[in-house]
Amino acid sequence: MSSTASSSSSASRVVLSVYMALFFGYLFLPLILMVAAGFNSYSPPSVTQWQGFSLRWFSELAADERILQGIVNSVIVATGVIAVSLPLGLSGALLLSRLDARTGSLLYGVLVSPVLTPGIILGISTLIFWRQVDVGGGLGLTVMAQSTFIAAYCMLMFMARLQRQDTSLEEAALDLGATHLQVFRRITLPFLRPAMLSAAVIAFLQSIENYNTTVFSIGASHTLVTEIGSRMRFGLTPVVNIIGLLFVVTTVVVAVLYVLLRQRERARTPAG
Amino acid sequence: MRGKSVSLDSVSMRFGDFTAVQPTTLTIQAGEFFSILGPSGCGKTTLLRMISGFMTPTGGTIRIGDADVTALGPNRRPTALIFQNLALFPLMPVWENVAFGLEVRGVSKRQRREKAEELLALVALDGQGDKLPTALSGGQRQRVAIARALAVEPAVLLLDEPLSALDLKLRQHMRTELKEIQRKTGVTFLYITHDQGEALTMSDRVAVMRSGIVEQVGRGDDIYDNPATSFVASFVGESNRLSGTVEAISGGQASIATRFGTLQARCGAGLTAGEKAIVFIRPERTRLQDTPDGSGFALRGTFLRRDLEGPFVNLFFDCQGLPVTVHVTNDSRHASDSAAERWLCIAPEDALALPAGALARDE
Repeated sequence: MSSTASSSSSASRVVLSVYMALFFGYLFLPLILMVAAGFNSYSPPSVTQWQGFSLRWFSELAADERILQGIVNSVIVATGVIAVSLPLGLSGALLLSRLDARTGSLLYGVLVSPVLTPGIILGISTLIFWRQVDVGGGLGLTVMAQSTFIAAYCMLMFMARLQRQDTSLEEAALDLGATHLQVFRRITLPFLRPAMLSAAVIAFLQSIENYNTTVFSIGASHTLVTEIGSRMRFGLTPVVNIIGLLFVVTTVVVAVLYVLLRQRERARTPAG
Repeated sequence: MRGKSVSLDSVSMRFGDFTAVQPTTLTIQAGEFFSILGPSGCGKTTLLRMISGFMTPTGGTIRIGDADVTALGPNRRPTALIFQNLALFPLMPVWENVAFGLEVRGVSKRQRREKAEELLALVALDGQGDKLPTALSGGQRQRVAIARALAVEPAVLLLDEPLSALDLKLRQHMRTELKEIQRKTGVTFLYITHDQGEALTMSDRVAVMRSGIVEQVGRGDDIYDNPATSFVASFVGESNRLSGTVEAISGGQASIATRFGTLQARCGAGLTAGEKAIVFIRPERTRLQDTPDGSGFALRGTFLRRDLEGPFVNLFFDCQGLPVTVHVTNDSRHASDSAAERWLCIAPEDALALPAGALARDE
């Protein structure tokens, strides 16, 4: 009896291990190949036609003005998106948390709908809308186009946090003589701080990686992602692999920092 | 600090079809420790929220001192509320919690810190100012909430069952402390509770509420010895109850016909001859005897059970189907407690007859 049980559990363990190996292979093999191709002196990127280890593509990236400008533009747009989406998302969340159920759910549907709308449509409609008032494509328009849906993400994150707030804290502050503005600044805002950090990180990542909305709103300018997209047509060089490598490294570093920051925040506010 | 009076004039609160507080007229004296006692859902918290300004009454006016505050928000009333869950600000150290009311009034940081330390000393929390509230024990958090409320020098301190989360020993200790703080500061205390022990021990006066109606207002002794309604008699303290019909009333005494015979009792408010009545007898005023002494009414009881409470003992008897409890002081001489048959004697001054009225409908 016990031997069958243990053999069946060891069999299931084998199945699980194989599945996990396949799963992680599926996730990480492309990344490994991408990184490997970045150190191959052969172009276009390949690992099968190995022509020797090389750091040549790093120096090519350093000399590629358009790509470097694209990275700068992406960061400018992402920063703008944070600046627009956080206040918008916060306002929406505060409004929804104070409305009655029926009006609230209607408005909720409206505010969240951009998340479910295809990015292409958001990009095109932003372009058409702002053309009416003579605002053309560019970095500014891209900030607005991306914020249409990123603000909704931020709103969802603020709402999740607000639902956990103890309303008696705000009442206590009011009772002690605080004005509504003082209550917001001293009680509500500090409580929302962790959510703000998370929302800013999400907004930044969503903005940097966005292609299908940006490609319509960017006009004559370009971001890193639209530049890579346009080069697809003429054949890529392993410079793109080096960018990928840098992104992977940056992501890992930022993710680790984020987790560490959150842990410190949690330790400071056990009740939050 | 100086307390102010609170006057309610026909104050009522309706939520749609439901009336949470019936028109209530009540005056709480300046510097008084006043409790509102009632079961959950009786409207006492609604009353408190109207006085603190979180709810606007649907009828009537509220005055604090000479000022009509009915239309003012909570941040513009000279009241401070201590919440049931205390609502300490978790992200601020204790001293900032205490000084919050001063901070929003624009007092300088140095003065805030000084005042906070002074108040923390008042509630015996010297030197704890830099801790976060979560680092304190339940009783200490309780005292931080009191200090925070006192910092704004309220004329009226409102307390919403603030002791309910504490364990028994701490609760009893905090009763003494609250009373002491009230005496030292002279602030009017309005205390909401469902715990009659808290209400009776601390208060100068108590109001007993049921279903949105204040049934009786009086000193603790009045409430306990002369309950105005059968609800007050049954909610405050324990009672043995005998039901019967009023035979005659004369000179403040009523004769009540019960199935055990006719019994003399004090005549409560609103009793009329021929009406159904309930006679309330406190367990500690029910005397145990081996033979009836002939001075009053006596029931023959069969001993059922003995429960030790510590300072006193509860003895349970069955009198032909009527359960009767007797409190006996625990003086270690109760060897004869458990004798199978005893006489339970009730003097006329220890029995109070009240109209069965609403209580009979409830049960």
